[in-house]
Amino acid sequence: MSMRKSSPAVPAQPTKAGRGFRRLVNVLLTLSAVLAFSYAAISIYIDTKLVYEPQKPLYATPASLGLQYRDVIFPSREDHLQLHGWFIPGVLSKGRLTAQRVIITVHGNRGNRADKSAGLLNFSGALARHGFAVLAFDMRGNGESPPAPLSLGYFEQRDVLGAVDFLRSGPLPYPDLGRPRSIAGWGVSLGASTLLLAAAREPAIRAIVSDSAFTDALPLLEREVPKGGHLPPFFTPGALLAARAIYGMDFYDVRPVDVVAQIGPRPLFFIHGDADSFIPPSDMSDLAAAARTVSNAHVQTWLVPGATHARSYTTHPQEYVSRVIAFYTAALGPDSSAT
Amino acid sequence: MSTLPSDSQKLVPAPGLPESILRGTLVGLIPLGLLVVVLAFVLAITALTRQLLATSGFFVQQEWVLIVLIAGMVLAIVVYAGSIWRILRRMATWQQAGMREQARSALWALGATALVVIIPVLLTLLLPQRPAP
Repeated sequence: MSMRKSSPAVPAQPTKAGRGFRRLVNVLLTLSAVLAFSYAAISIYIDTKLVYEPQKPLYATPASLGLQYRDVIFPSREDHLQLHGWFIPGVLSKGRLTAQRVIITVHGNRGNRADKSAGLLNFSGALARHGFAVLAFDMRGNGESPPAPLSLGYFEQRDVLGAVDFLRSGPLPYPDLGRPRSIAGWGVSLGASTLLLAAAREPAIRAIVSDSAFTDALPLLEREVPKGGHLPPFFTPGALLAARAIYGMDFYDVRPVDVVAQIGPRPLFFIHGDADSFIPPSDMSDLAAAARTVSNAHVQTWLVPGATHARSYTTHPQEYVSRVIAFYTAALGPDSSAT
Repeated sequence: MSTLPSDSQKLVPAPGLPESILRGTLVGLIPLGLLVVVLAFVLAITALTRQLLATSGFFVQQEWVLIVLIAGMVLAIVVYAGSIWRILRRMATWQQAGMREQARSALWALGATALVVIIPVLLTLLLPQRPAP
């Protein structure tokens, strides 16, 4: 009987080419992991810088203009953030007060309800002196309202809708003046875009003045994110995706141009400075064109000569007020208690 | 009594060429699969944390969401690197056992994994952007 001797297994050594390929794959694996995770980490860092800045305090109140007002606090729609604002009653002849027609004023990015640079307090005062009550409030993350991430209107539209709910069913700041008969909106820059987004969802906003609105948040972010973060533009998509993961906001969905047609046939008045280098005046043309696609559209535009971004009111205050008052009067009708 | 090689092959059949390639590829794709699962889990936990802390205020919410997200990313890195290390060791064992095709297909799968991981970053270089003037 013969025994077959089994020879010990000789380990198969990889060839030179095989070793080279393996080394290449190792390098690729390391490089891809380092690049992908670094990209994600930098995107997250950009987001934390992008979405919040310390809130600016109010520099004055309507009392500094000799106007009566009440501090109000109301919840935003859906997420119930407690927003701070002023209710300024309209002033009629002989000093009588009215709250029949209320204008919700919406400030711009990183501002507040008194925003000095845009002349917001003075403008609110001018509206009140022309017989329109004003609800001026701080959007989330601004002024005295609670800190929140800046979302370019994605979340802020809930604040405008909360203001509408407050006027329609909240406690009356001046019970003797009763509930408002009609509600309209005025917004500047981010406030204007936010107002357009909110008005598309809320028919109670019966007329809108949109000063320096953008059509789409994305081109602004593609310009501003690299500038603010001092990083190349290819980090912008990562930062936008990270914003979705961290804050649940979708900047790709912030496109007033897509919803502005839903506002019609309610009247719209678009204002834009012709020297605006932050949001190009072509955005107004695009918004107006989109708004006119609906039948019975009531769309006005005013390209303000010499005005830079959100400075149309401060550049031509008297003409600005007279045009806006004429628009609101035509849209909302006269104050019945005035006669 | 002798043990013939033909008998042992009957008991534990050696994988054929396509089967060994398939097995090697699947094993090589394990790190990618684990990475996807861990990242999906981390994103789900992040969203849950955000919802749970919605009433706690912005700063508390942001802090905890970032902690969860960063911890999740660290976990993803550890799981991804660990699984790659294990597969490289297994490949070396296969190589020594003469299962070259299996080892080679696993290596190709790892190469593909590296490309899949880096593709999103490369895409951001190629994505058209239209920044406002």
